[in-house]
Amino acid sequence: MSKQHKQAEEYIDIDDEIQTTAQQTGYAWEEEYKRSWDVLQEDEDGSLKRTVENLQHRMKRKKLFRDTSTIRRGIIRHIFLIIDLSEAMMEKDLRPSRLELTLSYAEQFILEYFDQNPISQLGIIVTRGGIAEKLTDLTGNPMDNIRVLKNKKNTDTDGEPSLQNSLEMARSTLIHVPAHGSREILIIMGSLTTCDPGDIYDTIDSLVKENIRVSVVGLAAEVQICKHMCKKTKGIYGVVLNEVHFKDLLFEIIPPPPVSVAQSKAELVIMGFPSSVTDSMPSLCACHSKPTTNGYICARCNSKICDLPTDCPVCELTLVSSPHLARSYHHLFPIDNFVEVPWNSAFTTHCFSCQMPFPNATTSLLGTRVVTETSGRYKCNKCNQHFCIDCDVFVHEVIHNCPGCLATTLSIK
Amino acid sequence: MSVLKDTATVNEDDANLLVLIIDTNPLIWTRSAKSTGLSLKEALRHLLVFINAHLALKHDNEVAVIASHVDVSKFLFPIPTPPRLSEDTDQVVDSNLYQRFKVVNDQVIGNMKDLFEDITTLNSYPDKASSMIAGALSMALCYINRIMRADEIGHIKPRILIISISPDSPYQYISIMNCIFSAQKLGIPIDVCKVHGEDTVFLKQAAHITGGRYLKLQIPQGFLQFLMITFLPDRFTRNYQCLPGEEKVDFSASCFCHKKMIDIGYVCSVCLSIFCHPLEQCSTCRTNLILASVNECGLKLVNGIKKLDKAKGRESGGST
Ligand SMILES: [Zn+2]
Ligand SMILES: [Zn+2]
Ligand SMILES: [Zn+2]
Ligand SMILES: [Zn+2]
Ligand SMILES: [Zn+2]
Ligand SMILES: [Zn+2]
Repeated sequence: MSKQHKQAEEYIDIDDEIQTTAQQTGYAWEEEYKRSWDVLQEDEDGSLKRTVENLQHRMKRKKLFRDTSTIRRGIIRHIFLIIDLSEAMMEKDLRPSRLELTLSYAEQFILEYFDQNPISQLGIIVTRGGIAEKLTDLTGNPMDNIRVLKNKKNTDTDGEPSLQNSLEMARSTLIHVPAHGSREILIIMGSLTTCDPGDIYDTIDSLVKENIRVSVVGLAAEVQICKHMCKKTKGIYGVVLNEVHFKDLLFEIIPPPPVSVAQSKAELVIMGFPSSVTDSMPSLCACHSKPTTNGYICARCNSKICDLPTDCPVCELTLVSSPHLARSYHHLFPIDNFVEVPWNSAFTTHCFSCQMPFPNATTSLLGTRVVTETSGRYKCNKCNQHFCIDCDVFVHEVIHNCPGCLATTLSIK
Repeated sequence: MSVLKDTATVNEDDANLLVLIIDTNPLIWTRSAKSTGLSLKEALRHLLVFINAHLALKHDNEVAVIASHVDVSKFLFPIPTPPRLSEDTDQVVDSNLYQRFKVVNDQVIGNMKDLFEDITTLNSYPDKASSMIAGALSMALCYINRIMRADEIGHIKPRILIISISPDSPYQYISIMNCIFSAQKLGIPIDVCKVHGEDTVFLKQAAHITGGRYLKLQIPQGFLQFLMITFLPDRFTRNYQCLPGEEKVDFSASCFCHKKMIDIGYVCSVCLSIFCHPLEQCSTCRTNLILASVNECGLKLVNGIKKLDKAKGRESGGST
C-alpha cells in the first residue's frame, strides 16, 4: 500500500510546472491573436486565386529550407520506439482514436525509417499499467516490428504509463550498442501523467551521460518533464495539433540526426556482403529454421539467411548488400537549396525537368503588371537551370539529384 | 510527398504512361552499326513503331521520349513549345496515318536531328564513353511526378524504359542509385533493354529493385520483335505473364581502394566507404578511424567452425 502511495506522489502536476516555465518560452495559446483572413488580399481582378497560390508556394517552400551543409550524420542508428498504452490513449480527440492513429503511423514510421536508414536498427517498448514491456529487441528487420504491432494482444491499453521504467529498459539495451552507432529513443506519449518508481531526474542524467537522445511526440499537451528531458538530451519535443501534424512530427525523426565530431567515434566496421543462392533442394535457414530454397550465404560462417540487411545469427557479422549502403548516400551528399528567381531575370519559358510552362510576366487585362510575388521559378546555383515549385520539392525530398546538374555539362552556356 | 498515390495496384482499364529514355551516344551507336548492323537510324525506326503500338493499345495511353546524349539529356517529346510548324517537312495531312502518330514521329525525329546537329562540347564530359543516363532518369521521374500530380484519381500508371548502349559510368553511381530508390518508392518499374555491349550492372540493379524487366538484345535484327513482346505489355498484363528463368543480379560490393570484388569489407561508419583492408584514416572523408571491437565469441565460434570444416574436408560445400 505504501508503495502505491509513493507512486501517486510522483505524478507530475502539469499545472504547477507550466507556471514556472511559461514566462520564458511562451505557449501557443498565449501568442498574439492572428486573424488569418487579414493576410488575404484581392488582386485587381477581384480574385483571390493569386494570393492563394502565393500562400501555397510559401507553404511548400517552408518545408524545403533544410540544412544542406555536409555535416557528419549518424548513419548507423539504434532507436527504441516507446509507445504509451495507457488509458489516455483511448481518447478520441484524434480520429479514429489516439491509439489507432498511433499504431498506423507507427507502422508507416517503421517502414520509412528502414527505407531511409537501411543499416540501422529499431526496437519497440510499450508501457501500460505502470510497467514497461519490450515487444521487440533492436532488429534490422521492419517486418518483425510491424508484426508485433499488428498483434492485438500487444496493444491493449491499461492504467498509467511509466516513463521511467520504459526509459530504463531502453537504456539498458542501448548502452551495449557499439560506439559508432547513434543511440536514440522516440516516445509517443498520450498521457499527461507518469507512474514512476524513483526519481526520473536521475534517469535523465544517466541518459545524458550515455549519450542517448530522447525525442517525444506528445498527443495531449505540453508536459514539463518531457520538455526538460528532450532539451537535456538534445532531442526534439513536439505536441500534435492535428492528425497531419502528428505525422509530420513523427517523420521529423526519420532523417539521420547530425552528430558532433566529439560525441561519436568514427569506426571501421566489418561488414559482410553475402552472395545470394538458389538451391534446387530446400535447406534450413539459420534465422527462422525453416526450409527455404532462396537465401544468402554469410560470407564468414556460411550459414544461410533469408533476408538482408541483418546480423548473422551465428557469427553476428553485419550482413548488407551494396544497394543498402547506397541508399544512405543522399544523406551524406545532400544537394543545395534552390533559390527563387526574381521576375527581372525570369526569361525561361518552362521548367527544365518536367517541361511545365512557367507563368510569364506579361501584363494583365488592365495593363498593370502582374501582382504575383514569385515568378514560380527556382534556380539551382550550380547549373543555373530553372525549376518549378513541384520539381523543387520533389527533387529535394524524393530524388536527391539535381536533374540540371546531371543532364547538362557545366561548359554549356 | 503528400501525394503519394497508390501506384502498386493496377487495373485493366488504367492508362499507361511510358517514358522512353534513348541512349544516343553517337560513338557507341557507330560501333554497334559496324559490328551488328543495328544503327541508331534503324533502331529509331523500330522504336517509333513501338511507340505507335503503345499509343494504339489504349486511347488514353501517353508517351514521353528523352534522349540521353553524351553531354546533355533532353526531352524529345513532348516539348512545351512545338516549333517548326511551317518547315521543310510536308504539312500535307497523310490520310493514311493517324494524326497522333504523325505528331509524335515528327517531333521525335525533328528533335533528334537538332540534338545531333548541335554537337558543341564532345570533349568536356569526364567520361566520354558514357551518356547522361542519371540526368535523363531524374528528368523522367520529375515528368512522371508532374503527370501524376495532375491525375487526381490515380488512373495513369507510369513506367520507364531505357534503351541502353553505353557502359556504366562510375561517376554516376550515386545519382543513378538515388533515382532507382525514388522509382522504387513511387512504384515505377524501370525496364532496361541493353542493345549493345556488356551488361550494365547499374541498370540491371535498377530493373531488379524496381520490379522492371531487363533484356540483353541477342539478335539485333529482331529489335522490334523483342520490344513488342518484352516491353509492350502494360503493368496489368504483366501479372499474367511468365518470364523465362530469372537472371541472377550481382549485388556484390567492390572496395573503393582497388575496385576489387570483396565479400567481407571494412566500412567507414561516417561515409560508408568500403575498403578491403583496415586503415587508420578513411581515404574518402579523412576521419581517423578505429577498428570496431570485433565480437570475440562470434569470431572464436567461426574459427572453430572453419577448423571443423577443414577437418571434415569440407564435404558440405556450402554455396552452389
Ligand atoms: Zn529465415
Ligand atoms: Zn555468419
Ligand atoms: Zn517542374
Ligand atoms: Zn543543378
Ligand atoms: Zn581495396
Ligand atoms: Zn569515411
